[in-house]
Amino acid sequence: MEFLVKVIVFLPLIACLIAGFAGRAIGDRGAQWVTTLGLLVSAVLSWIVFFKVGFEGAGGTFRVATWIVSDTFESAWSLRVDTLTAVMLIVVTTVSAMVHLYSIGYMAEDPGIPRFMSYLSLFTFAMLMLVTADNLVQLFFGWEGVGLASYLLIGYWYERPSANAAAIKAFIVNRVGDFGFALGIFAVYMLTGSVQLDAIFKAGPELAAMNFEFLGVQVPALTTICILLFIGACGKSAQIGLHTWLPDAMEGPTPVSALIHAATMVTAGIFMVARLSPLFELSQTALAVVTVVGASTAFFAATIGLTQWDIKRVVAYSTCSQLGYMFFACGVGAYGAAIFHLMTHAFFKALLFLGSGSVIHAMHHEQDMRHMGGLKDKIPQTHWLMWIGTLSLAGIGIPLILGHGIGFAGFHSKDIILEAAYGAHSGVGFYAFWLGIAGAFMTAFYSCRLMFLTFFGRPHDHHHYEQAHESPPVMLIPLYVLALGAVVAGFAGYNIFVGDGWEGFWRGSIAMEGSREALHHAHEVPWLVKVLPLVMGVAGIAVAWWFYVGSRANLPQMMANAFPALYQLSYRKWYFDELYDFLFVRPALWIGGQFWKKGDVGIIDGVGPNGLAAGAARMSRILGRVQSGYLYHYAFAMLIGVALLVTWYMLSRGQ
Amino acid sequence: MDGLHNWTLAAPEIFLAAAAMILLMIGVYRGERGADLVSSLCVASLGIAIFLVLRLEHGTAYHELFLVDAFTKMMKVLSLLAAGIAIVMSRSYFVLVGVWRFEFPVLVLLATLGMLVMISANDLMTLYLGLEMQSLALYVTAAFQRDSERSTEAGLKYFVLSSVASGMLLYGASLVYGFAGTTSFPGLARGFLAGDVATGAIIGLVFVLAGLVFKISAVPFHMWTPDVYEGAPTPVTALFSVAPKIAAMSLIVSVVMGPFRPLLAQWQQILVAVAVLSTIWGAIAALRQENIKRLMAYSSIANMGYVVLGLAAGTEEGVRSVVIYMIIYLAMNVGTFAVILSMRRKGVMVERISDLSGLAQRQPMMALALLLFMFSMAGIPPLAGFFAKLNVFLAAINAGLYVAATIAVLASVVGAYYYVRIVKVMYFDDPAEAFDRPVERDMAVVMLATALFVFPVFPVFQAPFMNGAQAAAKTFFSGR
Amino acid sequence: MIHALAFYVFAAVTVVSAFMVISARNPVHSVLYLILAFFNSAALFLLMGAEFIAMILVIVYVGAVAVLFLFVVMMLDINIAELRQGFLKYLPIGAAVGIALFAEILLALGAWSVSPVAAGSLRAKVSDVPNTEALGRLIYTDYMFLFQAAGMVLLIAMIGAIVLTLRTRPGVRRQKIAAQIGRRREEAVVLVKTRVGEGVSS
Repeated sequence: MEFLVKVIVFLPLIACLIAGFAGRAIGDRGAQWVTTLGLLVSAVLSWIVFFKVGFEGAGGTFRVATWIVSDTFESAWSLRVDTLTAVMLIVVTTVSAMVHLYSIGYMAEDPGIPRFMSYLSLFTFAMLMLVTADNLVQLFFGWEGVGLASYLLIGYWYERPSANAAAIKAFIVNRVGDFGFALGIFAVYMLTGSVQLDAIFKAGPELAAMNFEFLGVQVPALTTICILLFIGACGKSAQIGLHTWLPDAMEGPTPVSALIHAATMVTAGIFMVARLSPLFELSQTALAVVTVVGASTAFFAATIGLTQWDIKRVVAYSTCSQLGYMFFACGVGAYGAAIFHLMTHAFFKALLFLGSGSVIHAMHHEQDMRHMGGLKDKIPQTHWLMWIGTLSLAGIGIPLILGHGIGFAGFHSKDIILEAAYGAHSGVGFYAFWLGIAGAFMTAFYSCRLMFLTFFGRPHDHHHYEQAHESPPVMLIPLYVLALGAVVAGFAGYNIFVGDGWEGFWRGSIAMEGSREALHHAHEVPWLVKVLPLVMGVAGIAVAWWFYVGSRANLPQMMANAFPALYQLSYRKWYFDELYDFLFVRPALWIGGQFWKKGDVGIIDGVGPNGLAAGAARMSRILGRVQSGYLYHYAFAMLIGVALLVTWYMLSRGQ
Repeated sequence: MDGLHNWTLAAPEIFLAAAAMILLMIGVYRGERGADLVSSLCVASLGIAIFLVLRLEHGTAYHELFLVDAFTKMMKVLSLLAAGIAIVMSRSYFVLVGVWRFEFPVLVLLATLGMLVMISANDLMTLYLGLEMQSLALYVTAAFQRDSERSTEAGLKYFVLSSVASGMLLYGASLVYGFAGTTSFPGLARGFLAGDVATGAIIGLVFVLAGLVFKISAVPFHMWTPDVYEGAPTPVTALFSVAPKIAAMSLIVSVVMGPFRPLLAQWQQILVAVAVLSTIWGAIAALRQENIKRLMAYSSIANMGYVVLGLAAGTEEGVRSVVIYMIIYLAMNVGTFAVILSMRRKGVMVERISDLSGLAQRQPMMALALLLFMFSMAGIPPLAGFFAKLNVFLAAINAGLYVAATIAVLASVVGAYYYVRIVKVMYFDDPAEAFDRPVERDMAVVMLATALFVFPVFPVFQAPFMNGAQAAAKTFFSGR
Repeated sequence: MIHALAFYVFAAVTVVSAFMVISARNPVHSVLYLILAFFNSAALFLLMGAEFIAMILVIVYVGAVAVLFLFVVMMLDINIAELRQGFLKYLPIGAAVGIALFAEILLALGAWSVSPVAAGSLRAKVSDVPNTEALGRLIYTDYMFLFQAAGMVLLIAMIGAIVLTLRTRPGVRRQKIAAQIGRRREEAVVLVKTRVGEGVSS
């Protein structure tokens, strides 16, 4: 077991190092195979570990090395494997393996293949470090590691200014969240004297009773800590306010978007909240905050998705929205449901992204949906696979039969989240429920809009249309694998994640008390609640069909003209970028400019280095003139020197 | 008391004097052809002298005129080493300019004899005689290339200014004698310890220090240095920049830490002033130099400033830092001059900094060696020069000389500019015409040895040097 | 009384003539004033009872050094007017430095007193023996080391003078004494029998 886990975690690192440092030696092909095979092995082993941990109750904490030991602070490097980790392991390694495979085809013509593959494996390693962390510092290490990999991959095409800007934006926005996360860790260490998860959980009840004094105001310690940690989660998981980087991150290659900005890294925030659920559980305030933020994001991101034209941006906002669902699931205590959705989402969203990539590949890197259309005959396999992903995202299925219904993966996981929100019977619960229902409608609408614009109708760009071609098998195989997940993961996983078998499955790796209550209520909701999401999904699809296929009139344009303010609000992404630009970017640039021009160049350089240098040069000229070469000048200088020294001595003695 | 009691303490000096005279005879009888032989024998004599020095017992001789202890032994070894290397490096240059004559090594030998006498001085009279013995030989070496106007000018300038300095020293010595009634160091120390010190004695000390500081070319008695360094034959410049500095520095140490130690408060401020002025002047005036020998002149002014700062601390740590600095300074300077002496194109010496352009592409090893020396002089860790400066600054700070130490650090930053500029010229400028190859074997050996010393030998194996310096410094504090 | 009077006379003349050395317009006059200063200093030594040093001063400085100076000055034909060109320009600062230094030294001398331990460190008792003998003891016994060192200094000066000035010019005919002496009759003389009226032809 221990060996298995270590292999899973370190194989990607080894592959990364080989591809990164020996990339030239082993060539493009070698780098592709080393990394891909490494990940495939990891993925297979992860499934083995998953079954062992999930059903046989194996697992534990495996120490790798001593990392930091300083006085009372101790942070070992260990791998903690419980059910939560095991689920994350299969999600991360499976999607990553598929993306590696897919990249072989997608990036075939890129000049920097070894670098790309190496980054991908580096990311996977960091993500595995994150999910296997047994203390907050190691968690933070993985957290920053994936941030770094994300930065490198978004800016992978570094000759594009927009890619560089997006990479920097992602990094900086994440810094805001990480600041909160780091403060949270500091606070935890300050109050409990440990960063070990188990120790923190044990100290949880004490923490709940403690208070901080901040600026003279007493604030409850636990709530503060949880909210700080949640801010970190918000940054990584692109929740409202800190979401602006995610759509821009689509500047990276599409496999990257699929792996990092849809399936794995962005779910790190969810994972963190679930991992620390025993802490969150103790603060109702923090949970309420999580719920509200999550629900708001779910709704808000969906509205933006309605009007975007860039195929990847639609999927990106959809990701943002779905992450919101997961957060409010956590907020109402349904951690299992959140992780369940995390897993199903990973499959269908990766499928959608890779499918989009396949479309983009077919269209020669054209991403604007206005230039697409009618592709269903040109790339039929991609078309059908995309439908699977779309229906799964829209949450299509038949409720109420076979116990808990039957349908695509998204159907099961999204429904249980909405039921849990309803079942919470609290203000924030209802807030989340109704926004979630509205989101479900919009989700169905925009995802089908994407399908109709892309695959139906008349082709808008004949040149690209004519040349469009189906992707090679190496890109299609991952799509099929993920499609399988998008179809069956929900039905297969329902019982163990959130159904009757959940307690035997999770075994304490998430907060059990809260989950029990949340799930209990979720299963008790009225049948109407169970049906409503499906109704909204179908309605969304129908409306989309009517808008983009059924109707002769240009309905979308008419709608936009009828409600210009709403349309602009959505199209302009609620003006977040403009607002931030005005509030933070410009002032920061202005202040930076002032510091640079006036402070640094003017004062520090002017007086310091440059001033000294100029002064030194001037002095040097003067001293050069003193060096006249005349003997009597020199002799006289010596006399003056002696006179001065004697005088100085006499004067100072007089004091 | 028998005047010859303990006379063997002067064995190295006696040996060198005898050797010089014998070698002179050999030279005279063998004529021009004898130069190589005499030169080798001179180096051998210096080697034997080192051996003799190391075997010496500690003590005083000749009615307390002459002193041997750990400090003087250390300094003598350094001087002998420096002189020996200077002779080794001088041959090819003088052959090139056509004045390779046997008198040169003999004169260096005699100058070294003077240095040894200086270092062992335990009396103002010994001090003066040693100083003159050394100086007189050095004047001649500076003017050795007697058909070159610049060389003669350098010799003359050095001679006249040095005489002025000697005059000051003598005047100071007579003032001291007049007020203290003795010229013997222990006698002076006893007198100063006894109580009331007359102002005249201090003024005398200032004059004596002025004469000595001239020899280490510290501000304000440094004016001769750039002109003499530039004009003198390059091997002589190499000699000037090291051996006499070691001897004079050691003399200053013996004077202020010995008889005048009770007057620490009085001379400390004078030395601090000299140190600070030297570091600043050396750093700033060097900025505009184009001639590398002139540059080295300013470099040595600045370096001597740091050494004096270490001494100004007036503590055991300070003296130790002086010894360490001199050891490292010896290596860096000798190495740099080995490179300068290898700068020749088609049999003609060149000495402009721009001549080094692109050296890294033509002669990478030589460029690397010079890079090490320059970085070391700039005080960049982990090279030896960094530790030299570090020790000095630590000593100064521990003695409470905060302002002086700060200024010296700032000056070293300015100074780093011109050292690093040489590296820039070598590594980033378009290559100039290549220098003659191959580099002389002697030069190559010196370069290699000193470069290795600068890095990694000294930084890694500091302990023996530190211990030696510590033992030398201790002599002033644990009763001689 | 007469002793003191003599001291002041000699001392005053010494100082005045020393001043004249540097202020006289004619360099030959300068040297002559220097000689006068030497004589007066010798007289001062005499007053102190150091007759040997007084005589040496006269013999060495007046008899050798000053005369050498005189020769050199005459040979060099120094143009004093030219040397004095910068005199006025540098006078203020020069005077300032000189006066400051002079004042400080005066200040120090004003507080002159013999150090309490100085008496103990005197080496020779002048009263016991004639001062020539006392000097001899000091120089050749006590200060033997210094005496030898001074010898070395002179040797170096000699070498230096030779190195810097001795030139072997090509084409100069030199006397080779050893060869001359070592020559034998056979090498130099050839006996030829000549007949009358024929002359000598080899």
